[in-house]
Amino acid sequence: MTRDTVTARVLRKDLHPRGGISHRVTEGVSRILFLLFACVSILSVLTIVLFLLVQGVPALSEIGVTEFLFGSEWRPSADIYGVLTMVVGSLSVTAGAIIAGVPLALLTAIFLARFCPAPFYRVLKPVLRLMAGIPSVVYGFFGLTVIVPILYNVFGSGKGILSASVLLGMMILPTVAEVSENALRAVPGSYYEGALALGATPEAGVFSVVLPAARPGVSAAIVLGIGRAIGEATAVVMVAGNQPVLPDGLLSGVRTLTANIVLEMSYAADLHLGALIATGIVLFVFVLLTNVALAALRHTGRQK
Amino acid sequence: MKLAKKVISVLACMGIAGMAFAGCGGGGTGIHVITREEGSGTRGAFTELLGVVDENEKDAIISSAEVTNSTQVMITTVAGDRNAIGYISLGSLSADVKAVQLDGVSATVENVKNGTYKLARPFNLAYKDTLSAAGEDFIDFIMSEQGQSIITAEGYIGADDAPTYTASGMTGTVKLAGSTSVAPVMYKLQEAYMRLNSGVTVEVNEGGSSAGMTAAINGACDIGMASRDLTDSEKAELDFTTIATDGIAVIVNIENSVSNLTSEEVRKIYLGQLTDWSGR
Repeated sequence: MTRDTVTARVLRKDLHPRGGISHRVTEGVSRILFLLFACVSILSVLTIVLFLLVQGVPALSEIGVTEFLFGSEWRPSADIYGVLTMVVGSLSVTAGAIIAGVPLALLTAIFLARFCPAPFYRVLKPVLRLMAGIPSVVYGFFGLTVIVPILYNVFGSGKGILSASVLLGMMILPTVAEVSENALRAVPGSYYEGALALGATPEAGVFSVVLPAARPGVSAAIVLGIGRAIGEATAVVMVAGNQPVLPDGLLSGVRTLTANIVLEMSYAADLHLGALIATGIVLFVFVLLTNVALAALRHTGRQK
Repeated sequence: MKLAKKVISVLACMGIAGMAFAGCGGGGTGIHVITREEGSGTRGAFTELLGVVDENEKDAIISSAEVTNSTQVMITTVAGDRNAIGYISLGSLSADVKAVQLDGVSATVENVKNGTYKLARPFNLAYKDTLSAAGEDFIDFIMSEQGQSIITAEGYIGADDAPTYTASGMTGTVKLAGSTSVAPVMYKLQEAYMRLNSGVTVEVNEGGSSAGMTAAINGACDIGMASRDLTDSEKAELDFTTIATDGIAVIVNIENSVSNLTSEEVRKIYLGQLTDWSGR
């Protein structure tokens, strides 16, 4: 799509080599307009950061940063606030989602980019897009009524890391698959042909030449998936069990940082509310780290 | 590539081992405890009324209990889990789950009203002393015979001998915000009130008890709704009226053979001292 836009712009420049006055005025006005829009989005991010800090930092200092980050007990009614269990919860569920979702997504992307027959592609691609568009509450209800009972019947315990990981794996699949597919398609055709010319089978060509060449893009896709998984709340709340305890197995229930906020925000008051906003700060730092990782990956990708 | 293959195979082994390990623990009669989230009005009333508290009188529901913030998720989970126990508002009770008797008393409106069923909590409306005339009129309506009959019809417990309400031609807007437990019945009250008073617009927003109290304090709404008693900091800022009482039903799976629990047993289950259905 980006390539098309660029082409269109080039074409238009050819048609109007100098550009009329009215054309220039429109361009100037729209430039200001877009700058304004850009400023609004930057401003909203800044406002959110400011809100988090102003509301969260007092609570954080009252609870104590160490107690808050490394305390493994969360009992708002007794004014005990420790988010360690939720940090562990968020990380384990996200890791589980990556293990469950990424291999599937990568294979899907490889299939779409290299092996998919055109008629099938026309069906598969929209289905994948649709999957990305399903609201998370629908995923959550699906998890609650389908995945959880299956796990309950097999293992005797339904909600926990496993159910949340499987569900999140499904949710990140379309994003990771789509971005990876684009990365795979961006690899010059000569790589693949070169591999074939050297006697590689098509599969070997894809897996050992094209896939490594697309690694920066694929890594970016995985980081995007991590971002989505760590930030997901609505669906996770419904299937994770939400116990604020350190998990001792795949079936153990966990509470994620997002779940903690979603669960208790509506009723929270005073220090409890501040502690929840401070949970938001921790989450924000995680998301920030993922984004920095993404930017770094994109950077190395471009350098190559 | 080789490294990636190794990583994948190690992960696969871990996954299989994890599943095999987990498979050993399935089934049994271990009680699966489900609770509402900290701060929920239902949970607050439940822990307070049953004494599920520590030595400092603070909520002490065992931390390994599954937590949900939705009555619907609670019902769905208990309906699908033979060993589960949970609690919900009496008004939300559905046929998918079984409400157990508490100390031999069934969870019914009559039993809450006559005081034999212990698990009940207040629905409160809180407002500043600067409440508009229309706002006061709306509360008068709720506390009247007509308003209380709507509350009773919704499965909650209202007052018996309330005065009759007559519309007095008020005008204005009354904004309410707060408890998601109170909101459903409030919509019915709002509808009935606006039919009698075409000059008044009543708006109802859901956001939880505490959010409603905060909104009432900072003036974002006229009346806050709470499905719990007001905290001391809230009482300092707001006046309140109790408009109804709601029973809390303790629910188990339909297939569960247990149909009667003592309040001490429920307390022990939620404290984590009673962990198996066979250990009763």
